[in-house]
Amino acid sequence: MSPTPEPHVVGRRTPRIDGEDKLTGRADYTVDHRLEGMLHGYPVPASIAHGTLESLTLDAARAMPGVVDILHHGHFPDLHRSPNSMRQGDAVSEVRLPFEDDRIHYHGQYIALVVAETLEQARAAAFRVEARYHREAGVVTGLATGDDEGEAVRHYTRGEPELAFGLAPVILDRTYTMAPESHVPLEPHATLAEWREPDRRLVVHESTQGVFYQRNALARIFDLPIERVEVISHYIGSGFGNKLFMWPHAVATAAAARLLGRPVRTVLPRQLDMMTTGHRPASRQRIRLGAERDGSLVSIQHDSLTATSMVDRYIDACGGATPSAYACDSVAVHQRLQRVHHGTPCPMRAPGEASGLFALESAIDELAVALDMDPLALRLKNYADQDPRSGLPWSSKHLDRCLEGAAERFGWATRDPGIGAMRDGDEIIGQGMAAATWFAGRQPCAARVTLRADGSVLAACGTQDIGTGTYTIVAQTVAELTGVPMARIEVRLGDTELPAGPLSGGSMTTASTLPAVAAATRDALAALKAEATRAGGDFAGLDPASLAVEAGALVADGRRADFAEILARLGRSDVTGEGSAAPGDERREYSFRSFGAHFVEVRWDPGISRLRVARVVSHIDIGRAINPVAARNQVEGAIVMGLGMALLEGLVHDPRDARLVNANLADYRIPVHADVPEIDVELLDYPDYRFNEFGARGVGEIGLTGVAPAIANAVYHATGRRLRDLPITVEKLLAPD
Amino acid sequence: MLETHDHSPEATVPVRLTLNGAPVTVEVAPNAILLDVLRERLGLTGTKKGCDHGQCGACTVHVDGRAMNACLRLAVMCEGQAITTIEGLAEGDRLHPVQQAFLDHDAFQCGYCSPGQIMSAVALLEDPRVAGDVCTVREAMSGNLCRCGAYQNILAAIQDARLRLHGQEGDEA
Repeated sequence: MSPTPEPHVVGRRTPRIDGEDKLTGRADYTVDHRLEGMLHGYPVPASIAHGTLESLTLDAARAMPGVVDILHHGHFPDLHRSPNSMRQGDAVSEVRLPFEDDRIHYHGQYIALVVAETLEQARAAAFRVEARYHREAGVVTGLATGDDEGEAVRHYTRGEPELAFGLAPVILDRTYTMAPESHVPLEPHATLAEWREPDRRLVVHESTQGVFYQRNALARIFDLPIERVEVISHYIGSGFGNKLFMWPHAVATAAAARLLGRPVRTVLPRQLDMMTTGHRPASRQRIRLGAERDGSLVSIQHDSLTATSMVDRYIDACGGATPSAYACDSVAVHQRLQRVHHGTPCPMRAPGEASGLFALESAIDELAVALDMDPLALRLKNYADQDPRSGLPWSSKHLDRCLEGAAERFGWATRDPGIGAMRDGDEIIGQGMAAATWFAGRQPCAARVTLRADGSVLAACGTQDIGTGTYTIVAQTVAELTGVPMARIEVRLGDTELPAGPLSGGSMTTASTLPAVAAATRDALAALKAEATRAGGDFAGLDPASLAVEAGALVADGRRADFAEILARLGRSDVTGEGSAAPGDERREYSFRSFGAHFVEVRWDPGISRLRVARVVSHIDIGRAINPVAARNQVEGAIVMGLGMALLEGLVHDPRDARLVNANLADYRIPVHADVPEIDVELLDYPDYRFNEFGARGVGEIGLTGVAPAIANAVYHATGRRLRDLPITVEKLLAPD
Repeated sequence: MLETHDHSPEATVPVRLTLNGAPVTVEVAPNAILLDVLRERLGLTGTKKGCDHGQCGACTVHVDGRAMNACLRLAVMCEGQAITTIEGLAEGDRLHPVQQAFLDHDAFQCGYCSPGQIMSAVALLEDPRVAGDVCTVREAMSGNLCRCGAYQNILAAIQDARLRLHGQEGDEA
């Protein structure tokens, strides 16, 4: 019986192949793995942000039931810091090793790891560890306010931005600030480490967006050949950048497992997760715009200051999108970095650019007000037909379609631009818009595809599915090229024993992975054709090139044979193909970005001081959506996260001592069901074949960029209050100007 | 001076449950949390821990038919109670109508909050006090955080499941 053909699976709305596992509780996340004889690790956090650890009193904790050991400075193996190199693939989030010395650099930094037989015992004992500290003067609790604070780290300039600004008839000079944001993946960070006999191989289950980076880093830290380290991450309870690179809990857990000769699992409690595993850093951005009276931009200057920790140098590049955003001859982007006594920040969804576009797209709106011009018209006036940064043509840009299409769907033409001019009963309606953009990149990737004698196909790649739908799009790719039904395609991801795959980050997974999977599929089909045409094969003597692939079968001369029949006749259990793909020289000819437009309506009820987002209309240009169901879901989710960025989210550090005071999900608020308005997303379908054969540019970050400024601009329209500090809380709206 | 404790041996308490329809007796420490007992002792890892503080809803289970955060209950409080987890919803290979609706509407991304979302949804669909309009459903579901932000699809799934279960449409808000 021939399998059902599946033409054009790529690009079709496809239910996720891992959906049933996730919805029945069968999916194996890192926190769900346990091993025979496994111990439980529970970290103890520093209660100060700056100073030294003078002493630990461990007697009471050690005497608690079930406690096996307590690791700390002075009782921890000598390890090597990872070189922390992106190029070598061993980047880590925090390069300092746990318990390396007695210095305390941030609140929550681990001072001990209690290891006990049960979770209850480890937790109970962790709370009995007593620490004495020497607090030091000079704690840096947050970003400084001067324009020249920090270390200059990046610089871009074209034209004469200062001169043009000085000569411009209309100018704007504004500063925008943002609180640090927590990623809050619902699965906390977790490590299960085992030194597996007989050869003491280090096998680690980790909730990570990059199994290969973690493997390479662990190999360097524990001085092992990479073949003796395996990192596994089958299911990840989301990441948003939080889980790109390894954090210290994983090193401490692996060290404990080696020391104690038993597997150890550490699942970070939410509070520690928020304290120690990164955040989007605080930023302060000054935007200066110069324009002609007709709205033509003549100068853009974007100066950013972002925070990093005392122990690492993470740069959140706020100005990343600015040089390419508008047709403007004179542009300068400066980035400065300031060290504060907080945990190390890390990339968070649309890192840098989400913050940067809050500032830039708010400033554009302010300029439109100053010019008495429609903000949509101002954006179209300065539309960049080619990338003004490189001078290269865009591979595919349809931002104008996004802006105009979303405006029409939203009903922008009927907007009354007067402040507070639109009302509905007690509520004042505010409408705002902003543009979205995110770069399109690719990483190298390898994959393996096996056609099996039972008619099924196995596709394997060492990238991860962090919830974006990678399992499903890999299967779609194989189905597209083989005609084998989706139900007969098995996909394995998230294991360093599989062919090397990329980080799940930067919106690069789809464009990186699918070409490699396609290459491996074609290689497997070529191997099958070679088998089928040799002596004893179904198509013996024919030229392999004359065989066509059709619905899970090879076809020639009016005859067809299923993959399974061909393999069975030859007594083969399977044939395997390997493939890889990497970025080519396309970047020399074209500039690659995704684009979008968000239109937002807010409702402000001044009588009860209630601000809500009422609806969002977004048109997004991501090239081809491989699985439009999952792509749309991701964009909607990003818009929800943008709503959080605009109105709810901010980590709060005590201004006296830099202690993090809201490291929990009640005091750090993320959007809930009741916050979420009607979200209307249109994915434009312009495949970008200059980028890859599937025309896909990736979808993870683009939906977040531009949301916060669109909301802030709508708040201004409703209230007349231009709030340049996120999140926009009711307290700020009620405070006098 | 530290308090003194009797450390040896650590006392355990037997707790009898009806777990997903079957009787179970489990010996637990007095400070053991229902969530941890389900996950670590009884092998039911479908119920997730997101915050351990009743702030995220990932651990939602049914206790005698009511949706509760398993992280906020000591296991010893559950003596004689019926606990239903995500593993107890499907009948063999046949998904519960709410699970099927979540699949059909792509009402998840990473899937980590999904068991809790589904358990809350099943409970509210069976609760006559909870009206069927979208505003009420959003409010009733607001104890279940989804950081992937699949809320719109979750809402659509719940309203679709309402039809499948009760054959009535949720009133428009």
